[in-house]
Amino acid sequence: MVQKVLEVEELKVGIKDEDGGKIAIVNGINFHLHKGETLGIVGESGCGKSMTSLSLMGLLPAGVERHGGDIRLGNLNFNSFNKKDWRQIRGKKIAMIFQEPMSSLNPVYTVGAQINEMILNHERVSKKEARNRALEMLKLVGIPRPEQVLNEYPHQLSGGMRQRVMIAIALSCNPEVLIADEPTTALDVTIQAQILELMKKIQDQLHMSIVLITHDLGVVAEMCDRVIVMYAGEIVEESLVVDLFDQPSHPYTKGLLASLPDIQEQKEYLSSISGVVPAPGKMPVGCRFAPRCSFAHERCKEVPPLFEMENGSRVKCWLYEDGETEVAAK
Amino acid sequence: MIAYIIRRLLHTILVVFAISLIIFFSVRLTGDPVSVMFQAGEPTKEAIAEVRKNLGLDEPLYVQYGIFLKGLITFDFGESFRSGMPVMDLIKEKLGATLALAFGGMAVAIMIAFPVGIVSAVKRGTGVDFFGRIFSLIGISFPNFWLGIMLILIFAVNLKWLPSSGFESFKHLILPSITLGMILSGILARLVRSSMLEVMNQQYISTAKSKGISDFAVIIKHAFRNALLPTVTFLGLQFGALLGGTVIVEQIFSWPGIGRLIIDAINQRDYPVIQGGVIFLAVIMVAVNLVIDLSYTLIDPRIKIGGSRS
Repeated sequence: MVQKVLEVEELKVGIKDEDGGKIAIVNGINFHLHKGETLGIVGESGCGKSMTSLSLMGLLPAGVERHGGDIRLGNLNFNSFNKKDWRQIRGKKIAMIFQEPMSSLNPVYTVGAQINEMILNHERVSKKEARNRALEMLKLVGIPRPEQVLNEYPHQLSGGMRQRVMIAIALSCNPEVLIADEPTTALDVTIQAQILELMKKIQDQLHMSIVLITHDLGVVAEMCDRVIVMYAGEIVEESLVVDLFDQPSHPYTKGLLASLPDIQEQKEYLSSISGVVPAPGKMPVGCRFAPRCSFAHERCKEVPPLFEMENGSRVKCWLYEDGETEVAAK
Repeated sequence: MIAYIIRRLLHTILVVFAISLIIFFSVRLTGDPVSVMFQAGEPTKEAIAEVRKNLGLDEPLYVQYGIFLKGLITFDFGESFRSGMPVMDLIKEKLGATLALAFGGMAVAIMIAFPVGIVSAVKRGTGVDFFGRIFSLIGISFPNFWLGIMLILIFAVNLKWLPSSGFESFKHLILPSITLGMILSGILARLVRSSMLEVMNQQYISTAKSKGISDFAVIIKHAFRNALLPTVTFLGLQFGALLGGTVIVEQIFSWPGIGRLIIDAINQRDYPVIQGGVIFLAVIMVAVNLVIDLSYTLIDPRIKIGGSRS
């Protein structure tokens, strides 16, 4: 059995509304991450994937909070964390890279200073050692003329280079888990490919686990070992990448895949899933996808559990009730 | 950079020339200075002509202007009609007091407004923010003559802690600086708050937090440094205004500054003092602006002066 690095159980994230009540954005999800594995989290905007990743860092925006569930990293349980504990985890055990490389580096500090800051914050090293480590990291992420780039400011670098710098910062303290929130969305296609390749290469070198958040199924196919598909704050399907593309189970996943253009097939229109993700607080009763689902039937008025399939995938849909074993949702 | 500074200096010369034209001719619209000089009795025509000749007012205007310009080049603004003292000496005498008050007001404003603005932004929407904003509003709305008089009443008259007028020691500087600084701090705190709020939403603040550094480092090192740019621009403009525009405060505290010097000169139609004072303030204003523009390059590396982006 492969070692589990990160385990998330019944994670609930919500916004406080005006009456002091809570509106759920992430509604009790379970997943885990193996060592050296890349786990994809896919879903439309607003499905809760970014909030899930931010709650792993303890960096939920003001007004949004985690109000249930366990997050465990090795034998650390995040529930008992105070501010200081969080600071020791961030960057050191779990690091994060963001969607917008153009704005994720501070414009008024040099690249070197921004990498050093991370290293000096977590490691007991001298400034000179930190600088050497920073230089090493820039080489690792494939930055040409790293000595000069250390002294350059972010505006002097291209978007792709900045994302490489972000990766260098994130990996500079050798974290166990890297969370990449849409790391290539803002980049050109060719640069995207380079960055993804780089992440894969470094993952192999450092035996790191990656949580990759994306809405791009192409990126998932390229990068991930396992995928969870999120819809309206819930996991609707979890499976190996191979199975997801070969035999998508949940009607939502099928819809997502069907909406991809296919190079071998000429289509006048791409198919799409009609309707939009329901707003938090206005969720339908029963299966949350039912109002948009062409397979919806009577049974969908009840909340479906996650059913386990023969190939090990798990699907939250009544269509798979018969002949399949139900995974008891903890 | 050097080319840029030279260009700015040439620009300054043009500005000074334009101001010299405006000030020279506009003071002469205020009436004959000689008519207000004789306070008792009816002066004879000969006496008036004599005074005019002595002051050089009998020459045609363009000759007078020429003499004024010639003086400008050598920083000689002529002599006061009243006291006969060189204008430059009068300005020098008052300059210390004016600068002290401007810096004092500025320092008070910064000491109050930076913390208030930053805390207000960080604790947005909380009670602290509410008080911060009320404070700004009060600062902006208080008339400074009222505040100045209140401060004199409390600290000079009743408590007798601080002197109420003149400029002889550091103690004399406290009340006028607070009066000036309070007004400025209201606007400044608002500006700091709004630029901090804008910066705190930037992605690089999330990056900074994701490094696990302290909240203080995130706020001061990452956010505040970026929020500083609009603040410095504002402070620079205000500094110029403080040099010449503190007349009310100078009046309340009998402050021996340039503002009062010019006001007195205007009342007495003392042409050389008005001209010299205004030109002097203009030059300082332009110089302060230059220093601020240059300081941008220190705060924000994206700004390169006089060169192209590399």
